[in-house]
Amino acid sequence: MKGHSSSENPRRILGRVGRHEFVGRSQELERIVAQADPLAQPRGILVLLEPSAGVSELLRQAYDQIFNLRSGVVPIYFAFTRNDRTAVSAAIEFLNNFLQQYIAYRRNEPALCQASLTLQDLLELAPPADLEWVGQLVEAYTRQRFSNDDKSLVRFCLGAPRRMPARLGRPFVMLDGAQLAEHMNGAVVLGTEVLRVFNRSEFSFVVAGLRRQILTAAHDAQCNFDMLDTLRFDQLNVEDARKLVEHVASRQHVAINEESRDLLVQQFAGSPLFITTFLQAARERNAKLTSYLECERLYVDELLGGHIQHHFAELLEEVSADAETRLALIHLLGEAAAGNEPVASFEAWRKRLHLDASELEDVLHRLHVQEFVNWDGATIEAGGGPQAWKDYLKVRYRLDVLSEPRALVVADALADSLKRAPHTMARHYKQIAGLSLLELLSRFDCQRVPKTLFSYAQFSRSYKGEAEEEIASGLESETDTFKLPQIVHVASCAAFSAGMRRVCDEGRCLVAHGFDEASYTDEQEVVWLVSEVEAKLEVEADTVQTWCDRLERLAVTSGFRRYQIWLISNEGFSQEASELITRRGAFASSRQQVRLLATHLGDERLSPVVRPEEGDEFLMVLPMGEENELVAANTVEQIARRLNFRPEAINQIKTSVVEACINASEHSFSPDRKIYQRFRVESDRLVITISSRGIVPTNIGSQEGTNSGAFESNDASEERRGWGLKLIRTLMDEVEFERVDEGTSLRMTKYVRHSSS
Amino acid sequence: MDISTGSGVRSHCVGTTAVVYASDYLNKLTGEKIERECRRQLDSGCRGLVIDFSNTELVNSIGISILLGIIDVAEKNGAPVVFADVNNQTVKLFEMLGLTRHVALAKDEEEAISNLSRLTQSTPVNH
Repeated sequence: MKGHSSSENPRRILGRVGRHEFVGRSQELERIVAQADPLAQPRGILVLLEPSAGVSELLRQAYDQIFNLRSGVVPIYFAFTRNDRTAVSAAIEFLNNFLQQYIAYRRNEPALCQASLTLQDLLELAPPADLEWVGQLVEAYTRQRFSNDDKSLVRFCLGAPRRMPARLGRPFVMLDGAQLAEHMNGAVVLGTEVLRVFNRSEFSFVVAGLRRQILTAAHDAQCNFDMLDTLRFDQLNVEDARKLVEHVASRQHVAINEESRDLLVQQFAGSPLFITTFLQAARERNAKLTSYLECERLYVDELLGGHIQHHFAELLEEVSADAETRLALIHLLGEAAAGNEPVASFEAWRKRLHLDASELEDVLHRLHVQEFVNWDGATIEAGGGPQAWKDYLKVRYRLDVLSEPRALVVADALADSLKRAPHTMARHYKQIAGLSLLELLSRFDCQRVPKTLFSYAQFSRSYKGEAEEEIASGLESETDTFKLPQIVHVASCAAFSAGMRRVCDEGRCLVAHGFDEASYTDEQEVVWLVSEVEAKLEVEADTVQTWCDRLERLAVTSGFRRYQIWLISNEGFSQEASELITRRGAFASSRQQVRLLATHLGDERLSPVVRPEEGDEFLMVLPMGEENELVAANTVEQIARRLNFRPEAINQIKTSVVEACINASEHSFSPDRKIYQRFRVESDRLVITISSRGIVPTNIGSQEGTNSGAFESNDASEERRGWGLKLIRTLMDEVEFERVDEGTSLRMTKYVRHSSS
Repeated sequence: MDISTGSGVRSHCVGTTAVVYASDYLNKLTGEKIERECRRQLDSGCRGLVIDFSNTELVNSIGISILLGIIDVAEKNGAPVVFADVNNQTVKLFEMLGLTRHVALAKDEEEAISNLSRLTQSTPVNH
């Protein structure tokens, strides 16, 4: 058998990408791999997925890691697919798969996992130590196969890993797509059966499925929840989703720029499924994604006839096999998505779909599991699902229900997507620039703060024009303070009133339930209604009036007995507006006050004290040539002055920047003829990085520039040209070439305390 | 009297000494202009060169390597070179790269010319 140390580059077995290309979910991956430790107590892990959040690659990555560890724990990965039509066929497939992966592990031959093998082949491949039990398993299976007892056969197949002799190892089964197991024909509910079998076994396992389905299945299987852990998978966060787009685009050789990357992340809400599917489509169509137009064109193609269309069409087929019911569903859901009657009764749906109660229950259950609707047994709230689903419904509704011309539908879909794209990004940018009020409110926690922070008029009188440090010190000495409530629940205003969605962004208009003095009584209960009012200048009285009216209406309709309105704006409020705010008993703060409040409450994210390492970074791209290094030198001079470098040090920095620019221009054969400069100001140093694209100089490591007295050496003028780096090394405190895939990136650091050097 | 040559470099002669003025940034382009002017002055019979750096704020390594070329050429012509009015930072760069071992420094043009006249009077010209 071939040995393989885990410290070596791990072999890719089932993973579709290498470990370094697998983006996000690292904690979850670690958790699963940790459960496969031979010393870990046996436990089940339920992976609860948001639809389209994606888990398959994570489980395949876990498989590869466990396989390569060679710890005696045998990983088994099985994915239910839509091709498995019956519980029996799926269970037989599982048995076959289990034996194949078991023998691959025992023989340490990963290639066997992907081979097409019969049970007889597997029997022949089994190592001598396994021959006996594998032979018995195959023999018993053959008997079961012809027993006409489907339930017993399914249990036998699923229970095969339990038959593995303990001396030969321990199985670690990972089941993917458990929701599909629910929809198979036959007398056996496979999803429930899977959980029943594995929960009673003595080895660890992972079952991944949709979050609305899998917990119900676990309850139906009467699982022992003491032995189960849950991992919840939402969509990827923005950072990981960006990385995923970049990795997949690079792998699929799809040209993409940062703008398109960010649009895809937002448009698909970080869904790994849609992101990878979309980029795969781009590769198949040889499409580049370097503009919104190119992205949306492909998106509309995908909605009407690509992978995305196929995905949703399959889901609809799972919901109902009957074509007429599907059409009626598109009609109903399409109308709901357009905002007409999003909430309806079970009876109303039954009449519209012409189904009997049990058929409708079945349909609704499946729609609910996919989160296309919220169904509580009595009412159905449609309008859920990702944006791609809503767009799919819209085009299907117009094509299949309204029978509109395809060209018109395509043109409108493209125009709508293009019009929506900038708004999608604007919403994202606002979110990033937002004040994270939710986190701020949760920090109130009965802390005492200066009243000035909630009165813009007072703050303005006391501190306008003062430096941040002076304001902070003034606030510290203020005696007029009050205690904030303890906030126990925060949600968007839109969650309380759908109408609010039209006038504000989620996250910028909040309802916070709390208690004064953390005393949980009716008298102490208070609801804070907080809204960021968008305005470039001081907010005027009429806007304040509108917002106060709006929030008061919300309070009244929601039955809030005691409430406090708090308005926030970037630049504060006009005098007239401030007077109105006082009359209405509301609070008002500028963005600056909110940041100071955050500092007071210990929320560093909003602190006005900008940490240099985060805040003071300057980026500049210059074309090569035309003495543009002087532009860089003049810029760095201005930056260095802020750090109070002495004039001599400033000159040394300028000279170094000039030399680095010259080096970048002369040596890189840069294709874009650009010099990328980054100046990072830290408390005690200035870090300058000068990069360029192009070839990586072969002598980069040896460019020490240590030859002294170059004039005396036997060199010609060419060698004198190597003085640039020598000068930089002499003039700067630290000089280092960063590792880059192409071109050069030179990082130079100058410390303030060394300015006299 | 200052002469503005075709290359845009200011220069003038005091007896057999040529004074050439460097610009605010000494790089490849401005260095080559100075070099050309110096050669022109040497060809016209100058026996000493003063390069005045009073306006020079920044120099780069290419500019410095060109200065070395000028010193080479001047030495071959038997013409000593003096750098005048060089700021402290630039002096340090010149020292770092060994220039100051081959050229005299003067605080200003007047001192440079005076130093050169002493040198040219005591040193025979070799052609």
